[in-house]
Amino acid sequence: MEPETILESLRVTAAWEVRGDGHWVEAPDLDVRAMARLLLSVEARWVTLTVSPVPGGGFRLLYHWDLAGRLLNIATTVPEGLTQSIADIWPAADWAEREARDYYALEFAGRDELPALMLRPEDEPGLFSRTRELGHDADPADAARVDASRGRRDAGGEP
Amino acid sequence: MSPVIPVGPYHPALEEPYKIELDCDGEAVREAHITVGFNFRAIEWLAERKNYTQDLALVERVCGICSNVHTLTFSRALEQLAGVEVPARAQHIRVVVHEAERLHSHLLWAGIAAEVIGFQTLFMTCFALREKVMDLLEAVSGNRVNYAMNKPGGVTRDIVDPGMVAATAQAIRTAMEREIIPVFTTDRTVRARCAGVGVLTRDEALAWGALGPVARASGLPQDIRKAAPYEIYDRLDFEVPVRPEGDVLARIVVRALEIVESCRIIEQAVDGMPAGPIDAGDFIPVPAGEACARIEGPRGEVFYYVASDGSDVPLRVRIRTPTFQNMPTVALMVREQTLADVPLIQASIDPCYSCTDR
Repeated sequence: MEPETILESLRVTAAWEVRGDGHWVEAPDLDVRAMARLLLSVEARWVTLTVSPVPGGGFRLLYHWDLAGRLLNIATTVPEGLTQSIADIWPAADWAEREARDYYALEFAGRDELPALMLRPEDEPGLFSRTRELGHDADPADAARVDASRGRRDAGGEP
Repeated sequence: MSPVIPVGPYHPALEEPYKIELDCDGEAVREAHITVGFNFRAIEWLAERKNYTQDLALVERVCGICSNVHTLTFSRALEQLAGVEVPARAQHIRVVVHEAERLHSHLLWAGIAAEVIGFQTLFMTCFALREKVMDLLEAVSGNRVNYAMNKPGGVTRDIVDPGMVAATAQAIRTAMEREIIPVFTTDRTVRARCAGVGVLTRDEALAWGALGPVARASGLPQDIRKAAPYEIYDRLDFEVPVRPEGDVLARIVVRALEIVESCRIIEQAVDGMPAGPIDAGDFIPVPAGEACARIEGPRGEVFYYVASDGSDVPLRVRIRTPTFQNMPTVALMVREQTLADVPLIQASIDPCYSCTDR
Protein backbone atom coordinates (compact mmCIF):
# COMPACT_ATOMS: atom_id res chain seq x y z
CA MET A 1 0.00 0.00 0.00
CA GLU A 2 1.26 3.47 -0.87
CA PRO A 3 1.45 6.22 1.76
CA GLU A 4 -1.21 8.24 -0.10
CA THR A 5 -3.67 5.35 0.16
CA ILE A 6 -3.05 5.15 3.90
CA LEU A 7 -4.17 8.76 4.37
CA GLU A 8 -7.26 8.15 2.22
CA SER A 9 -8.15 5.06 4.23
CA LEU A 10 -7.75 7.01 7.48
CA ARG A 11 -9.77 9.94 6.08
CA VAL A 12 -6.93 12.31 6.73
CA THR A 13 -7.38 15.36 4.51
CA ALA A 14 -3.84 16.70 4.86
CA ALA A 15 -1.19 15.53 2.41
CA TRP A 16 2.17 13.99 3.19
CA GLU A 17 5.17 16.25 3.35
CA VAL A 18 7.86 14.11 1.74
CA ARG A 19 11.34 14.84 3.04
CA GLY A 20 14.72 13.20 3.20
CA ASP A 21 13.85 11.66 6.55
CA GLY A 22 10.47 10.26 5.55
CA HIS A 23 6.83 11.19 5.12
CA TRP A 24 5.26 13.62 7.59
CA VAL A 25 1.63 14.51 8.19
CA GLU A 26 -0.36 16.38 10.82
CA ALA A 27 -3.69 14.72 11.55
CA PRO A 28 -5.35 16.42 14.54
CA ASP A 29 -8.46 14.21 14.41
CA LEU A 30 -6.59 10.97 13.81
CA ASP A 31 -8.26 7.74 14.88
CA VAL A 32 -5.13 6.10 16.28
CA ARG A 33 -6.71 2.67 16.57
CA ALA A 34 -7.84 2.75 12.94
CA MET A 35 -4.29 3.78 12.03
CA ALA A 36 -2.86 0.88 14.04
CA ARG A 37 -5.21 -1.68 12.48
CA LEU A 38 -4.55 -0.43 8.96
CA LEU A 39 -0.77 -0.44 9.36
CA LEU A 40 -0.89 -3.93 10.84
CA SER A 41 -2.88 -5.16 7.85
CA VAL A 42 -0.25 -3.85 5.40
CA GLU A 43 2.67 -5.31 7.40
CA ALA A 44 4.13 -1.96 8.28
CA ARG A 45 6.60 -2.02 11.15
CA TRP A 46 6.25 -0.21 14.45
CA VAL A 47 9.11 2.19 15.10
CA THR A 48 8.10 4.20 18.16
CA LEU A 49 5.97 6.97 19.64
CA THR A 50 7.35 10.43 20.38
CA VAL A 51 5.36 12.48 22.88
CA SER A 52 6.00 16.19 23.16
CA PRO A 53 4.20 18.67 25.44
CA VAL A 54 2.37 21.44 23.61
CA PRO A 55 2.78 24.99 24.96
CA GLY A 56 -0.46 25.92 26.70
CA GLY A 57 -1.36 22.32 27.48
CA GLY A 58 -1.92 18.98 25.85
CA PHE A 59 0.45 16.79 23.91
CA ARG A 60 1.57 16.12 20.37
CA LEU A 61 1.81 12.41 19.65
CA LEU A 62 4.07 11.48 16.76
CA TYR A 63 3.66 7.87 15.65
CA HIS A 64 6.60 6.54 13.65
CA TRP A 65 6.14 3.55 11.31
CA ASP A 66 8.27 1.87 8.70
CA LEU A 67 6.50 1.03 5.45
CA ALA A 68 8.88 -0.93 3.22
CA GLY A 69 11.79 1.30 4.21
CA ARG A 70 9.83 4.56 4.19
CA LEU A 71 9.50 6.26 7.55
CA LEU A 72 5.94 7.45 8.14
CA ASN A 73 5.60 10.13 10.80
CA ILE A 74 1.94 10.63 11.70
CA ALA A 75 1.24 13.38 14.22
CA THR A 76 -1.88 14.04 16.20
CA THR A 77 -2.68 16.10 19.26
CA VAL A 78 -4.52 15.40 22.49
CA PRO A 79 -5.79 18.39 24.47
CA GLU A 80 -5.87 16.48 27.75
CA GLY A 81 -3.67 13.75 29.11
CA LEU A 82 -5.67 10.88 27.63
CA THR A 83 -5.55 9.01 24.35
CA GLN A 84 -6.45 5.57 23.01
CA SER A 85 -4.07 2.68 23.50
CA ILE A 86 -2.97 0.64 20.51
CA ALA A 87 -1.01 -1.93 22.53
CA ASP A 88 -3.71 -4.59 22.07
CA ILE A 89 -3.30 -4.22 18.29
CA TRP A 90 0.47 -3.67 18.36
CA PRO A 91 2.13 -5.27 21.41
CA ALA A 92 5.23 -3.44 20.18
CA ALA A 93 3.66 -0.20 21.47
CA ASP A 94 3.29 -1.49 25.04
CA TRP A 95 6.58 -0.20 26.44
CA ALA A 96 6.35 3.11 24.55
CA GLU A 97 2.92 3.79 26.08
CA ARG A 98 4.18 2.90 29.56
CA GLU A 99 7.16 5.18 29.03
CA ALA A 100 4.87 8.03 27.91
CA ARG A 101 3.00 7.69 31.17
CA ASP A 102 6.25 7.72 33.12
CA TYR A 103 7.48 10.90 31.46
CA TYR A 104 4.29 12.89 30.78
CA ALA A 105 1.51 11.25 32.85
CA LEU A 106 -0.23 10.49 29.57
CA GLU A 107 -2.96 7.90 30.10
CA PHE A 108 -3.98 5.34 27.47
CA ALA A 109 -7.62 4.25 27.43
CA GLY A 110 -8.43 0.61 26.79
CA ARG A 111 -5.58 -0.92 28.75
CA ASP A 112 -6.17 -3.19 31.73
CA GLU A 113 -3.13 -1.74 33.40
CA LEU A 114 -0.43 0.80 32.64
CA PRO A 115 2.42 0.02 35.02
CA ALA A 116 5.54 2.13 35.33
CA LEU A 117 8.39 1.14 33.04
CA MET A 118 11.36 3.36 33.88
CA LEU A 119 10.01 4.71 37.15
CA ARG A 120 9.46 2.82 40.37
CA PRO A 121 5.95 1.46 40.95
CA GLU A 122 5.35 3.95 43.76
CA ASP A 123 6.56 6.96 41.74
CA GLU A 124 4.07 9.48 40.52
CA PRO A 125 3.89 9.47 36.69
CA GLY A 126 4.84 12.52 34.67
CA LEU A 127 8.48 12.94 35.69
CA PHE A 128 9.39 15.10 32.68
CA SER A 129 6.25 17.23 32.98
CA ARG A 130 6.82 17.84 36.68
CA THR A 131 10.45 18.74 36.23
CA ARG A 132 9.53 21.12 33.40
CA GLU A 133 7.48 23.01 35.97
CA LEU A 134 10.74 23.69 37.78
CA GLY A 135 12.14 25.56 34.83
CA HIS A 136 14.34 24.71 31.90
CA ASP A 137 17.60 25.04 33.80
CA ALA A 138 16.49 23.17 36.89
CA ASP A 139 18.81 20.68 38.51
CA PRO A 140 17.65 17.12 37.73
CA ALA A 141 17.99 16.30 41.43
CA ASP A 142 15.09 18.67 42.09
CA ALA A 143 12.78 16.05 40.63
CA ALA A 144 13.59 13.80 43.57
CA ARG A 145 12.88 16.66 45.96
CA VAL A 146 9.48 17.09 44.34
CA ASP A 147 8.86 13.43 45.12
CA ALA A 148 10.08 13.82 48.69
CA SER A 149 7.83 16.82 49.31
CA ARG A 150 4.87 14.69 48.28
CA GLY A 151 5.77 12.04 50.80
CA ARG A 152 7.28 9.60 48.33
CA ARG A 153 10.52 7.70 48.55
CA ASP A 154 13.62 9.65 47.77
CA ALA A 155 16.05 8.65 45.01
CA GLY A 156 18.24 5.66 45.78
CA GLY A 157 15.52 3.11 46.37
CA GLU A 158 14.61 0.28 44.08
CA PRO A 159 12.97 1.21 40.78
CA MET B 1 1.00 -23.78 43.40
CA SER B 2 3.51 -22.83 40.69
CA PRO B 3 6.77 -21.40 41.97
CA VAL B 4 7.72 -17.90 40.85
CA ILE B 5 11.47 -17.61 40.45
CA PRO B 6 12.90 -14.09 40.52
CA VAL B 7 16.13 -13.65 38.60
CA GLY B 8 17.92 -10.36 39.15
CA PRO B 9 18.00 -7.41 39.19
CA TYR B 10 21.66 -8.15 39.88
CA HIS B 11 23.36 -11.06 38.17
CA PRO B 12 26.64 -12.83 38.89
CA ALA B 13 27.80 -12.75 35.27
CA LEU B 14 26.07 -9.64 33.95
CA GLU B 15 27.10 -6.16 34.97
CA GLU B 16 23.78 -4.62 33.96
CA PRO B 17 20.67 -4.85 36.12
CA TYR B 18 17.26 -6.09 35.08
CA LYS B 19 14.76 -8.50 36.56
CA ILE B 20 12.87 -11.42 35.08
CA GLU B 21 10.29 -13.26 37.15
CA LEU B 22 9.52 -16.73 35.92
CA ASP B 23 6.25 -18.52 36.65
CA CYS B 24 7.27 -22.17 36.52
CA ASP B 25 5.66 -25.57 36.45
CA GLY B 26 8.48 -27.77 37.62
CA GLU B 27 11.37 -27.07 35.28
CA ALA B 28 9.15 -25.54 32.59
CA VAL B 29 8.61 -21.80 32.32
CA ARG B 30 4.95 -20.89 31.92
CA GLU B 31 5.17 -17.12 31.90
CA ALA B 32 7.79 -14.40 32.35
CA HIS B 33 7.56 -10.81 33.60
CA ILE B 34 10.38 -8.40 32.81
CA THR B 35 11.28 -5.33 34.85
CA VAL B 36 13.70 -2.69 33.59
CA GLY B 37 14.52 0.86 34.61
CA PHE B 38 17.16 0.10 37.22
CA ASN B 39 19.67 2.20 35.23
CA PHE B 40 17.23 4.93 34.20
CA ARG B 41 19.24 8.11 33.58
CA ALA B 42 16.62 10.34 31.86
CA ILE B 43 18.99 10.99 28.97
CA GLU B 44 16.17 12.37 26.78
CA TRP B 45 15.39 14.87 29.54
CA LEU B 46 19.05 15.77 29.98
CA ALA B 47 19.50 16.21 26.23
CA GLU B 48 16.79 18.88 26.23
CA ARG B 49 18.79 20.90 28.75
CA LYS B 50 22.27 20.70 27.25
CA ASN B 51 23.55 22.26 24.06
CA TYR B 52 24.23 20.22 20.92
CA THR B 53 27.94 19.92 21.67
CA GLN B 54 27.24 18.59 25.13
CA ASP B 55 24.53 16.31 23.75
CA LEU B 56 26.97 14.68 21.35
CA ALA B 57 29.04 13.52 24.32
CA LEU B 58 25.88 12.63 26.25
CA VAL B 59 24.34 10.37 23.62
CA GLU B 60 27.66 8.56 23.19
CA ARG B 61 27.07 7.37 26.77
CA VAL B 62 23.68 5.81 26.01
CA CYS B 63 25.50 2.54 25.35
CA GLY B 64 28.95 1.30 26.28
CA ILE B 65 29.22 -1.02 23.28
CA CYS B 66 27.40 0.68 20.41
CA SER B 67 28.34 4.21 21.46
CA ASN B 68 29.32 5.20 17.92
CA VAL B 69 25.89 4.46 16.50
CA HIS B 70 24.31 6.99 18.86
CA THR B 71 26.53 9.89 17.84
CA LEU B 72 26.06 8.88 14.20
CA THR B 73 22.26 8.83 14.45
CA PHE B 74 22.14 12.07 16.42
CA SER B 75 24.51 13.75 13.96
CA ARG B 76 22.45 12.58 11.00
CA ALA B 77 19.28 14.02 12.55
CA LEU B 78 21.04 17.40 12.91
CA GLU B 79 22.38 17.17 9.34
CA GLN B 80 18.83 16.53 8.14
CA LEU B 81 17.61 19.60 10.05
CA ALA B 82 20.35 21.79 8.63
CA GLY B 83 20.31 20.30 5.13
CA VAL B 84 24.03 19.55 5.33
CA GLU B 85 25.75 17.06 3.03
CA VAL B 86 28.56 15.09 4.63
CA PRO B 87 31.76 14.92 2.51
CA ALA B 88 32.38 11.62 0.72
CA ARG B 89 35.55 10.71 2.63
CA ALA B 90 33.79 11.28 5.93
CA GLN B 91 30.98 8.97 4.82
CA HIS B 92 33.49 6.22 4.09
CA ILE B 93 35.16 6.72 7.49
CA ARG B 94 31.78 6.66 9.21
CA VAL B 95 30.97 3.32 7.57
CA VAL B 96 34.34 1.82 8.53
CA VAL B 97 33.90 2.72 12.20
CA HIS B 98 30.20 1.81 12.15
CA GLU B 99 30.96 -1.68 10.85
CA ALA B 100 33.98 -2.12 13.13
CA GLU B 101 31.65 -1.38 16.02
CA ARG B 102 29.29 -4.07 14.71
CA LEU B 103 32.25 -6.49 14.59
CA HIS B 104 33.19 -5.58 18.15
CA SER B 105 29.61 -6.02 19.36
CA HIS B 106 28.91 -9.27 17.51
CA LEU B 107 32.23 -10.87 18.48
CA LEU B 108 31.71 -9.89 22.09
CA TRP B 109 28.27 -11.42 21.95
CA ALA B 110 29.49 -14.57 20.15
CA GLY B 111 32.09 -15.09 22.85
CA ILE B 112 29.55 -14.67 25.62
CA ALA B 113 27.13 -17.00 23.85
CA ALA B 114 29.90 -19.62 23.62
CA GLU B 115 30.61 -19.16 27.30
CA VAL B 116 26.93 -19.52 28.22
CA ILE B 117 26.75 -22.67 26.11
CA GLY B 118 29.80 -23.98 27.98
CA PHE B 119 32.18 -23.90 25.03
CA GLN B 120 35.21 -22.22 26.59
CA THR B 121 37.65 -22.61 23.70
CA LEU B 122 35.18 -20.97 21.33
CA PHE B 123 34.78 -18.14 23.83
CA MET B 124 38.54 -17.58 23.82
CA THR B 125 38.70 -17.73 20.01
CA CYS B 126 35.93 -15.11 19.67
CA PHE B 127 37.53 -12.80 22.20
CA ALA B 128 40.95 -13.09 20.56
CA LEU B 129 39.36 -11.93 17.30
CA ARG B 130 37.52 -9.17 19.12
CA GLU B 131 40.87 -7.89 20.38
CA LYS B 132 41.92 -7.32 16.77
CA VAL B 133 38.84 -5.14 16.30
CA MET B 134 39.51 -3.24 19.50
CA ASP B 135 43.08 -2.62 18.37
CA LEU B 136 41.75 -1.35 15.04
CA LEU B 137 39.31 1.01 16.71
CA GLU B 138 42.00 2.25 19.08
CA ALA B 139 44.37 2.88 16.17
CA VAL B 140 41.71 4.86 14.31
CA SER B 141 40.15 6.79 17.18
CA GLY B 142 42.54 6.52 20.12
CA ASN B 143 39.87 4.75 22.19
CA ARG B 144 38.62 1.21 22.65
CA VAL B 145 35.10 2.45 23.37
CA ASN B 146 33.43 5.87 23.07
CA TYR B 147 35.39 6.71 19.94
CA ALA B 148 34.17 10.33 19.59
CA MET B 149 34.50 9.90 15.83
CA ASN B 150 31.26 11.53 14.70
CA LYS B 151 30.37 15.19 14.67
CA PRO B 152 27.50 16.92 12.93
CA GLY B 153 28.71 17.31 9.36
CA GLY B 154 31.38 14.65 9.33
CA VAL B 155 33.99 12.94 11.46
CA THR B 156 36.59 14.19 13.91
CA ARG B 157 39.57 12.18 12.66
CA ASP B 158 40.89 10.83 9.40
CA ILE B 159 41.98 7.23 8.82
CA VAL B 160 45.70 7.54 8.28
CA ASP B 161 46.46 3.87 7.66
CA PRO B 162 43.67 2.40 5.53
CA GLY B 163 45.84 -0.59 4.62
CA MET B 164 45.92 -1.70 8.25
CA VAL B 165 42.13 -1.40 8.48
CA ALA B 166 41.57 -3.49 5.35
CA ALA B 167 44.10 -6.13 6.44
CA THR B 168 42.45 -6.46 9.85
CA ALA B 169 39.00 -6.84 8.28
CA GLN B 170 40.33 -9.46 5.90
CA ALA B 171 42.01 -11.41 8.72
CA ILE B 172 38.80 -11.42 10.77
CA ARG B 173 36.75 -12.50 7.76
CA THR B 174 39.12 -15.39 7.07
CA ALA B 175 39.06 -16.54 10.70
CA MET B 176 35.28 -16.35 10.80
CA GLU B 177 34.87 -18.37 7.61
CA ARG B 178 37.49 -20.99 8.48
CA GLU B 179 37.08 -21.36 12.25
CA ILE B 180 34.07 -19.83 13.93
CA ILE B 181 31.18 -20.12 11.48
CA PRO B 182 31.78 -23.87 10.89
CA VAL B 183 31.71 -24.43 14.65
CA PHE B 184 28.57 -22.38 15.22
CA THR B 185 26.74 -24.00 12.30
CA THR B 186 27.83 -27.64 12.50
CA ASP B 187 29.10 -28.44 16.00
CA ARG B 188 26.85 -31.00 17.73
CA THR B 189 27.15 -29.30 21.12
CA VAL B 190 26.07 -25.94 19.77
CA ARG B 191 23.19 -27.46 17.83
CA ALA B 192 22.03 -29.56 20.78
CA ARG B 193 22.07 -26.52 23.02
CA CYS B 194 20.54 -23.97 20.66
CA ALA B 195 18.44 -25.54 17.89
CA GLY B 196 14.71 -25.25 18.56
CA VAL B 197 15.32 -23.30 21.77
CA GLY B 198 13.70 -19.93 22.49
CA VAL B 199 11.67 -19.64 19.30
CA LEU B 200 10.20 -16.29 18.26
CA THR B 201 7.93 -16.71 15.25
CA ARG B 202 7.88 -14.31 12.33
CA ASP B 203 4.42 -13.00 13.24
CA GLU B 204 5.45 -12.48 16.85
CA ALA B 205 8.60 -10.66 15.79
CA LEU B 206 6.55 -8.31 13.61
CA ALA B 207 3.82 -7.67 16.19
CA TRP B 208 6.32 -6.99 18.96
CA GLY B 209 8.50 -4.80 16.78
CA ALA B 210 11.61 -6.97 17.00
CA LEU B 211 14.67 -5.47 15.38
CA GLY B 212 18.06 -6.35 13.95
CA PRO B 213 19.43 -9.88 14.19
CA VAL B 214 16.50 -10.92 16.40
CA ALA B 215 14.03 -10.00 13.65
CA ARG B 216 16.20 -11.38 10.86
CA ALA B 217 16.56 -14.71 12.68
CA SER B 218 12.75 -14.88 12.70
CA GLY B 219 12.47 -14.46 8.95
CA LEU B 220 12.01 -10.68 8.71
CA PRO B 221 14.46 -9.30 6.11
CA GLN B 222 14.66 -5.83 7.66
CA ASP B 223 17.88 -3.83 7.64
CA ILE B 224 17.94 -0.05 7.36
CA ARG B 225 21.24 -0.24 5.49
CA LYS B 226 19.30 -1.84 2.61
CA ALA B 227 15.77 -0.50 3.12
CA ALA B 228 16.71 3.15 3.63
CA PRO B 229 20.44 3.38 2.86
CA TYR B 230 22.51 6.08 4.51
CA GLU B 231 26.11 7.20 3.97
CA ILE B 232 27.51 4.96 1.16
CA TYR B 233 25.54 1.76 1.79
CA ASP B 234 23.63 2.02 -1.49
CA ARG B 235 26.96 1.65 -3.32
CA LEU B 236 28.28 -1.34 -1.37
CA ASP B 237 27.93 -5.03 -2.14
CA PHE B 238 26.75 -6.95 0.92
CA GLU B 239 24.14 -9.49 1.95
CA VAL B 240 21.62 -9.35 4.79
CA PRO B 241 21.56 -12.82 6.38
CA VAL B 242 18.04 -14.00 7.22
CA ARG B 243 17.00 -17.28 8.82
CA PRO B 244 13.44 -18.56 9.19
CA GLU B 245 13.78 -20.73 12.33
CA GLY B 246 13.48 -18.01 14.97
CA ASP B 247 15.48 -19.98 17.55
CA VAL B 248 18.69 -19.29 19.44
CA LEU B 249 20.74 -21.06 16.79
CA ALA B 250 19.28 -18.84 14.06
CA ARG B 251 20.23 -15.74 16.04
CA ILE B 252 23.78 -17.09 16.41
CA VAL B 253 24.09 -17.90 12.72
CA VAL B 254 22.69 -14.53 11.60
CA ARG B 255 25.21 -12.62 13.71
CA ALA B 256 28.10 -14.85 12.64
CA LEU B 257 27.27 -14.29 8.98
CA GLU B 258 26.86 -10.57 9.62
CA ILE B 259 30.44 -10.44 10.89
CA VAL B 260 31.62 -11.67 7.50
CA GLU B 261 29.46 -9.08 5.73
CA SER B 262 30.76 -6.28 7.96
CA CYS B 263 34.33 -7.28 7.04
CA ARG B 264 33.40 -7.15 3.35
CA ILE B 265 31.83 -3.71 3.86
CA ILE B 266 34.93 -2.37 5.61
CA GLU B 267 37.19 -3.70 2.86
CA GLN B 268 35.04 -1.97 0.20
CA ALA B 269 34.74 1.28 2.17
CA VAL B 270 38.52 1.47 2.57
CA ASP B 271 39.19 0.43 -1.01
CA GLY B 272 36.97 3.15 -2.46
CA MET B 273 37.81 5.89 0.03
CA PRO B 274 38.25 9.18 -1.85
CA ALA B 275 40.54 12.02 -0.90
CA GLY B 276 38.99 15.18 0.44
CA PRO B 277 37.69 16.90 3.56
CA ILE B 278 36.31 14.96 6.49
CA ASP B 279 33.71 17.45 7.71
CA ALA B 280 31.39 20.05 6.27
CA GLY B 281 32.20 22.77 8.80
CA ASP B 282 30.25 23.98 11.79
CA PHE B 283 26.53 24.55 11.45
CA ILE B 284 25.42 24.59 15.09
CA PRO B 285 22.92 25.87 16.18
CA VAL B 286 20.69 24.08 13.71
CA PRO B 287 17.63 25.75 12.16
CA ALA B 288 14.21 25.38 13.74
CA GLY B 289 12.33 22.26 12.74
CA GLU B 290 12.17 18.56 13.44
CA ALA B 291 13.93 15.55 11.96
CA CYS B 292 14.35 11.82 12.36
CA ALA B 293 17.31 9.55 11.73
CA ARG B 294 17.63 5.78 11.68
CA ILE B 295 20.79 3.69 11.70
CA GLU B 296 21.20 -0.09 11.66
CA GLY B 297 23.10 -0.66 14.89
CA PRO B 298 24.58 -4.02 15.93
CA ARG B 299 21.37 -4.91 17.78
CA GLY B 300 19.03 -3.35 15.23
CA GLU B 301 17.58 -0.04 14.21
CA VAL B 302 18.49 2.96 16.37
CA PHE B 303 15.99 5.81 16.05
CA TYR B 304 16.42 9.49 16.98
CA TYR B 305 13.93 12.33 16.76
CA VAL B 306 15.22 15.86 17.32
CA ALA B 307 13.12 19.05 17.45
CA SER B 308 14.84 22.44 17.34
CA ASP B 309 13.67 26.00 17.98
CA GLY B 310 16.79 27.40 16.39
CA SER B 311 18.69 27.81 19.64
CA ASP B 312 21.73 25.77 20.64
CA VAL B 313 19.64 23.50 22.88
CA PRO B 314 17.17 21.02 21.36
CA LEU B 315 13.49 21.26 22.22
CA ARG B 316 12.96 17.51 22.22
CA VAL B 317 15.20 14.48 21.78
CA ARG B 318 13.62 11.04 21.46
CA ILE B 319 15.88 7.98 21.53
CA ARG B 320 14.51 4.50 20.70
CA THR B 321 17.12 1.80 21.08
CA PRO B 322 16.85 -1.72 19.64
CA THR B 323 16.87 -3.56 22.96
CA PHE B 324 13.92 -1.43 24.05
CA GLN B 325 11.93 -3.28 21.35
CA ASN B 326 13.68 -6.64 21.59
CA MET B 327 13.63 -7.10 25.35
CA PRO B 328 9.85 -7.75 25.68
CA THR B 329 10.14 -10.59 23.16
CA VAL B 330 12.15 -12.61 25.70
CA ALA B 331 8.88 -13.20 27.55
CA LEU B 332 7.60 -14.99 24.43
CA MET B 333 10.85 -16.88 23.79
CA VAL B 334 11.06 -18.45 27.26
CA ARG B 335 7.50 -19.81 27.39
CA GLU B 336 7.44 -23.61 27.68
CA GLN B 337 11.24 -23.68 27.77
CA THR B 338 13.25 -25.21 30.57
CA LEU B 339 14.51 -23.01 33.36
CA ALA B 340 18.10 -23.91 32.50
CA ASP B 341 17.72 -22.43 29.02
CA VAL B 342 16.53 -19.01 30.19
CA PRO B 343 20.04 -17.47 30.52
CA LEU B 344 20.94 -18.59 27.01
CA ILE B 345 17.64 -17.34 25.57
CA GLN B 346 17.90 -13.92 27.14
CA ALA B 347 21.54 -13.69 26.04
CA SER B 348 20.47 -14.60 22.50
CA ILE B 349 18.88 -11.19 21.93
CA ASP B 350 22.22 -9.58 22.84
CA PRO B 351 20.47 -7.37 25.38
CA CYS B 352 21.73 -3.96 26.36
CA TYR B 353 20.03 -2.64 29.48
CA SER B 354 22.03 0.56 29.42
CA CYS B 355 20.50 1.29 26.00
CA THR B 356 17.07 0.26 27.20
CA ASP B 357 17.07 2.39 30.32
CA ARG B 358 18.78 5.43 28.77
